[in-house]
Order: sequence, then structure tokens, then C-alpha cells
Amino acid sequence: MHDFLTILPLLIIVFGAVVLMLLAAFEKVSLTTAAGISMGFFAAAFAAQLLAGCGPQRLVFEEIFNGMLVAGNFTMVAALVIFACGFFSTTSSHTYFQVNRFDGLEFYSLLLFAAAGMVLLTMAAELITAFIALEVMSLAIYVLVGYDRNRVTATEALLKYLMLGAFAGAFFAMGTALLYGAAGSTHFTAIATVAASEAGSPLLLGGAFLLFVALLFKVAAFPFHAWVIDVYDGAAAPVTGFMATALKAAVFTLFANILAIHGALHQGWVEILFYLAVFTMFAGNLIAIGQNSLKRMLAASGIVHTGYLLVGLVAISADTFTGAVIGYYLAAYAAGTLGIFAALSYLGGEGEKRATFADFRGLARVRPYSAAAITIFLLSMAGIPPTAGFMGKFYIITSAIEAGQIALAVLAVVSSILSMWYYLRLIVAMYFQPAEETFATTGSPWAGVGTIALAVSVFAIGLYPIIV
Amino acid sequence: MFSYALSVMIFLPILGGLALFAAPVGRGAARAIGMAIALAVLAMGIEIFLGFSPVGGMQHVEHRPWNLSLGISYSLGVDGISLLVLMAGAVLFPLVYAVFTTRTKGFYANLLLVQGAMIGAICATDLVLFYLFWEIMLLPVFFMIGIHGGAGRLPATLKITIYTIAGSLLMLAALIYVGVAHQAQFGFWSFAIADLAALNLSGGFTVWAFFMFMVAFAIKIPLFPFHTWLPDAYTEAPTSTTFVLSAIMAKIGVYGVIRFVIPVFEIEFARWALLLALAGVAGMLYCGLAAIAQKDLKRMLAFSSASHMGIIALGVFCMNVQALTGSLFQIAAHATSTGVLFLFVGLMEERMESRQIDEFGGIAYQAPIFATFFAIAMLASVGLPGTSGFIGEFLIILGAIKFSIFIAVLAGTTLIVGVCYMLWMYQRVFFEKSNERTAQFKDLRLAEILTFLPVILLIVAMGIFPQAFIGKIEPAAQLQVAQLQKGGESGGIAASIDLAPSPHNHKN
Repeated sequence: MHDFLTILPLLIIVFGAVVLMLLAAFEKVSLTTAAGISMGFFAAAFAAQLLAGCGPQRLVFEEIFNGMLVAGNFTMVAALVIFACGFFSTTSSHTYFQVNRFDGLEFYSLLLFAAAGMVLLTMAAELITAFIALEVMSLAIYVLVGYDRNRVTATEALLKYLMLGAFAGAFFAMGTALLYGAAGSTHFTAIATVAASEAGSPLLLGGAFLLFVALLFKVAAFPFHAWVIDVYDGAAAPVTGFMATALKAAVFTLFANILAIHGALHQGWVEILFYLAVFTMFAGNLIAIGQNSLKRMLAASGIVHTGYLLVGLVAISADTFTGAVIGYYLAAYAAGTLGIFAALSYLGGEGEKRATFADFRGLARVRPYSAAAITIFLLSMAGIPPTAGFMGKFYIITSAIEAGQIALAVLAVVSSILSMWYYLRLIVAMYFQPAEETFATTGSPWAGVGTIALAVSVFAIGLYPIIV
Repeated sequence: MFSYALSVMIFLPILGGLALFAAPVGRGAARAIGMAIALAVLAMGIEIFLGFSPVGGMQHVEHRPWNLSLGISYSLGVDGISLLVLMAGAVLFPLVYAVFTTRTKGFYANLLLVQGAMIGAICATDLVLFYLFWEIMLLPVFFMIGIHGGAGRLPATLKITIYTIAGSLLMLAALIYVGVAHQAQFGFWSFAIADLAALNLSGGFTVWAFFMFMVAFAIKIPLFPFHTWLPDAYTEAPTSTTFVLSAIMAKIGVYGVIRFVIPVFEIEFARWALLLALAGVAGMLYCGLAAIAQKDLKRMLAFSSASHMGIIALGVFCMNVQALTGSLFQIAAHATSTGVLFLFVGLMEERMESRQIDEFGGIAYQAPIFATFFAIAMLASVGLPGTSGFIGEFLIILGAIKFSIFIAVLAGTTLIVGVCYMLWMYQRVFFEKSNERTAQFKDLRLAEILTFLPVILLIVAMGIFPQAFIGKIEPAAQLQVAQLQKGGESGGIAASIDLAPSPHNHKN
């Protein structure tokens, strides 16, 4: 019974997905109602997860369902982030679809299915579960990316993502097979124990390599980052926001869970992760600096944030792992990124006609509150206090220096200096240049409300340590 | 005085500024609100100053834990080191609202934010809290220059912003390193400056961390060779912002060195003091010479300000009580004199629509009171005996002689450069022939005279009765220098901590 209570939020989401799918099949509800139902389920799951978190303090990793899943504070925080991402993506989508009419009732059902896969992924303790969760999540995301089937860029993005994602899935499956061959089990703990005793085994190395390639692909880390620009650009703004935040949160949670389960696994990979983190940060920055389109810039800056999270992964240690640093950063990053995509959802206009930096010139003169909110999100992503992004970066750098990775900490700082350029560029365009249009928007106010809520939560998360 | 005075001084302007952004009020009302808040802060500042007892330690202390897991606390306090910096800001801010009457609501709101953040940075006794305010301080300046600046404002804004943020982020890394080192040595997290002062830092990364701090502060001061953002930013910024930047923000750079770098990195500081002092003198000389060549009055003052910041920084690097006291005194003296000069230039620009020295002339005949006030502020800036500038520079040179005769002689002679450009400028602007432009210049109105008079009197009073001010700052300066010397002696036996293994060390 306890096990079921632990996964109650997940069950709520799955139930919601099925309900919405049935409603969509019989076309009994309006789009607004469907969005409302989706928001309701996300909110209910969030509340259930929050209530579960108020219970007695649990272990870092508590095994449930005979060790098939793990649950703890870290997975709980990740699930909260994912539910919040789903909630705000729904609000953004609703407004977005008022002007971009390629909506369908299934859209919201797919969001819920994707979220279900993600939450399951964060709790996976063995590879088969992880694979299933990964595919549940990915299949839903593929459809969401290509949802606007009349648009060429969306279709192109879908094709790219599907092909590469399928490869990544195959790598994951092959890696699982090899690891099972080496360890005789698909459980992370069992694999880690074997890895500790026979470090050089080729089956183990090959399996782990394939597994990591798949995970690095999903989080868009160097050298598997190239797809992310086109895919984020092609997908609809709310979907991009959902992918950039929730998906990254889910995969990074799994990543951290695998690495933290046994010291041997982490030590084997720390050196490679070190270089991957550095290259990811700087590759992302170099790509972002050259972009003119906002979504492409945000996609590239997402790569940079993946780099920071990899810094966090380098710094974790199996003995003292709580996931707090990574969980906090994921929440902080999610609030900022979702906020920008929420704003883009209602400011982008029909067919996302406002897409480049230049298109947002003078926004502050016409819509000061939207510009202020976007500024808050950008400052958070850039890590300027007192926003959430600053505290997130603070924790990441602290953990890196604590782990003795001073060089990595300094490189992370240098990378955030570089990133100032493209974050400031948008602020400069919005505030320091004259307005050329009225930025008239039609549609529901939900995305706007979501933007305000996220702007508030950027500060709330940033000042969270006060509350603790 | 009630016990949360400092918090009120910080958050009254910040909340007032935020409220102004949202409130639908006109610019007149916005200015009145800003003025009222600035005056309230000034009243509290005066109250603190008068009630300040001249002992070394912190007063008006506020402390509450904030982030327990990392030992970050919300700690505030005022001592002799921060007192005059705090007062300079409190005295000068009301003038901005009095002189610049035509700005927009957003501008006044930004001014309030920057004032609150500055007071926060000055009063913070926790390194992370200081960093928060230090960074927040930059944002209003970014918007003030970017929205209200001159024709070349965009490059100037980006330059100052990226420059200072680069410095700040490096400082962030160093700051965290210091915190981690404290945890490693004492077993608990703390960023309180009193705790960090107990650290024995040594090892490979310490010198890097020291320079990361120094670069951040050097950019803000600005210390040669990190001054290149300054001429553009000071010239392109609206004059009220230039005033804020030069009169107060630059001082917080020096203050940061005294408050945080000296106690934490006493060994490194002693080791590199000569190099830094040379940088201070070089900046003095370079910016002084550059000032002579300027045609734009505001740009000339910008270089002059940078040149004077060089000598203030020099006083800090000499590591003795006289020089440090002189620097702290000179911070207030320079803030008042240069601040007033920038305000006067802003006034001239508004009335005569020019800043070119060539286009002025004969103002003294049209506006004798204005010319007198300008002369007093200018003479204080060049350090004429009887004005505030003399005391500070005298003490600094005195301390510099103890530190190094060579540097003292260099600094002393460089002061003459300051006299050159200032008097030459005064001659061209206020004497010689008046022209069409200056003939229309009206002298200060009574209200304006009454606005500036207190500050002018303060400049003279600081020159004639310096002891009233020095008495308050000297005990704190003595404490600080004592700490530095103790650190210099124990340098050899510092416990070594090894925090910097390369990533390769993790491989089994």
C-alpha cells in the first residue's frame, strides 16, 4: 500500500492521460475544457506529490516495488518540477492555440503521457523500467514536436528528432543488453557492484558507453547537441518549453541516480564527464552567440545549462549524495525557461511571426510588464541575483569547488560571462530601442497569468533558502 | 535609534523604487517620492553618524540566519570603515532629485533601487549578502544608461555591464572558494566576514582567488588598467547616473577591498601591495594626463575622477593607519567634491545645451555664486588646504612615504597634474570672454543655492574640522591594519589546505 501511495502522483497523471484520450476520441469536450482538465490533473499530481513530501523524512533512495523503482526527496523534487512544467506548458499551449490553429484534444493527453514517462524515468532503478519510461516519454514528445503537420520546419524537426532519438533508444537497448550480459542483472545497484569488482570488463565498458551516449543525446550534451537547435526551433513554443525543461529534468535525474548509486560508477566516469561538461558549456555558448532567432538562442543556451548540470554531476559523490544541488538547479532553470517560452507563446503571434531579437525591439515601451517578466527570466538564466538562477549557479559552483574541481568551477564562471552577451542582447532590444509595432495579442490570458506566476516563482525559488 | 535602522535604509528605497515602477504616477510625483525617501534615508544616516561611538567594532548590528545549509546570513552593521561611505551616499542622493527635475518615472525608480542596493552593499557584513547587493546595484545603472544615455549609449552600456559582470562572476567563484575553505578548516559553513578573517589561506588557488576579488573591485574603482569602460560610460550616461557612478559606486569598489579583501587575504595582500600601489599611481598619472587633453567637460571630469580614485586606492595599498584613514576620509571628500562637480556640469548642460569646454567662457561674470560654488568644489577636488580634499590626500601621501618613498614622490607630484587640468578648465569656462551661449546663463536660484549650500559647507567643514570625521574612522582603520600586520607575520606558518586536486586525481 505504501508503494502505491508513493507513486500516487504518477497514477494521477496516467489516469488523467487516459481520461483525456477517451474524451478526445469521442470529442465530447471543448479545447478549453481539455486544457482545464489537463491543468487540473497536473495540479492534483503536484499537490499529491507535495503532500507526500510533507510526510516523514525518508532515505535518499528508498526502494519500492521490490527494487524496481526508487523514491526519495530527489525524485520527488524532480517530479514536482515535471508537474509544474506540465502545468505551465498547458497554460501556454492554450493561449498559443488561440492564434495558431493546429490544435487537437490529443495534444493535452500527449503532454500528460510524456509527463508520466518522465516521472517514471526519474524513479527507475533498473534498466528495463528506464527504457520503457524513456520510450513512453519520447513517443509522446515526438508527436508533440511534429504536431503542426502543415509546417515544414516542424516536420523537419520531427524527422530529425525521431531518427536520432530512435538511434539513441537503440543504443540504450543495446547498452542494457550488454550490461545485463556483464552483470546478470538490470538493477543499477547490481551493475555498480559488478563494476566495482571487475572494472575493465569489455561488456561493462561497452554497455555503459552505449547507455551514456543515449542519455547524453537526450540531454543534448556535447558531442550530441547538434540536433537540439533545429528541433527546438521547429517545435511549437510551448512544446519547446516543455522539452527544454521537463525532459531535461527527467533525464538528468536518471543520470544522477545512476551515477550516485555507487562510488565506483561515478569515479569511472568523472574524468570524461569533466571534459563533456566543459565542451558542452562552451559549444553551447559559441552557438548561442551567433543566433538571431530567439528560439534558437534559447535552444543553444539550453545546451549551456546542460553543461552546468554536468558540472553538478561531476561534483556529486555517492557517499553524500542528496541530489539537492541538481534538483534545485533543475527547478531554477525550469522556472526561467518555461517563463520565456510562456511569454513567447502569447507574444509570438500567428505562425510565430515574431521570432528574432529584432522582432522584439521596443517591447518595453508597449508592454512593460511582459518585458519586465522576460527580463526577470533572462536574468535568472544568466545567474544574476536575487533570482533562482543565481542560487542554482551558486550551489553548482559550491559543489564543484567542494569536490575539488576548481578548474571546472572557474570554467563554469567564464561560460556564464560569455552567456551574458546573448541574454543582454534581448534586454537591450526590448528596452533600448524604439518600438516598431504594437505587439497586439489575442487569445486567452492564461499564458500571461502563467508568465506572471513564473516570474514570481523565479524570486520565490531564489529566496527559498530563507524559508528553509 | 531603533534597531532595524540599516534594514530600513536599504529596503525603503528598494521597495519604494519597485512600487514606483508599478504605480501609475506622474514624473513630478515620482520625483517627490524619491526625494522624500532620499531625505528619510539621509535623516537616518545623520542619526547614525551622530550616535556613532568611535570604537573599532560594528554598530547597529543585525543578524539573522538565511541559508542554513551554506551558513549564509543576513548580517548588517556599520563601523568606522563603512560610516563615511554610507554617509556620502546618504548626503548626495537627495541632490539628484533636487537638481534633475525632468526625468521619467522609471528613472527615479531606478535611482531608488540603486541607492538601496548601494546601502546594502556598504552595510553587509556577510560576503554573499554583499555580493547580492553588489550585483543588484548594477542593474539600475544598466537601464539608466541604456534608456536615458547619450547617442553612443548602447556600446557604453554593454561595455560597463559586461566588464563589471565579468569581474563579479570571477569574484563569485573566488567567494565560494573562500567559503569552502572555511568549511574545510573550521568544519562549518560561514560567509560572515568576521569568521572568514580567521582563515589561513594558502595553496595554489589562493593567489588566483585573491586576484579574482581584486579584479572585480579594480573594475569598479576603476584601477588602472581596468579603467577602459569608464570614459565611455561616464560620458554617455545621463549626468545624474554619472554622478551616482563616480561619487558612490566607485567608492564601494575601494570599500570592498578594505572590508573583504584585506581581512581574508591578508598574506596575499601584503605580498602584492607594491604592485597594486603602482597600479594606483599609474592610473592617477595616466588618467590625469588624459584629463588635460579632454575637450568635453564631463569626459574631463570622468578622467579626473578616475585619477583621484587612483590615489584613494593607493592609500589602501600602503597598509598603514595614516594612509588607510586618509583613504576613508578621501572617499567622502572625493564623493562630495566630484559629485557636486558632476551635478554642476549637468546643470550647465541642461541650461546651455553643451559640454564642450571651448563653447563656454565668462560664466563667472554672469553667475558669480555658481562660479564660487564650482570653485570651492573644484579646489577641494585638487586638494587645496582648507578644503576636504587636502586632508585626505595629505594623509595618504604621509602613509605612502612610510610605505615607499618612490611611490610617495610619484603620487605627490602627480597631484600637480590635477591642478593643471582643473585650473586650466576653470579659466576657459568661467573666465575669458563670454559668448552667446554663456551670456544667457542665469545664476543659481535661491532654492538651488540652498540645495547646494549644505554640501559646499560640508566640504569646507571637512577641511577645517577633520577631526570630527577622522576620529570616527581611525579606530576601525587601526583594527584593520593591526589585522593586516598580524597576517603578514603569520604568513609563513599558515596551515595549508589542499583544495585543488586536478580532475585526474579522482581516477583510481
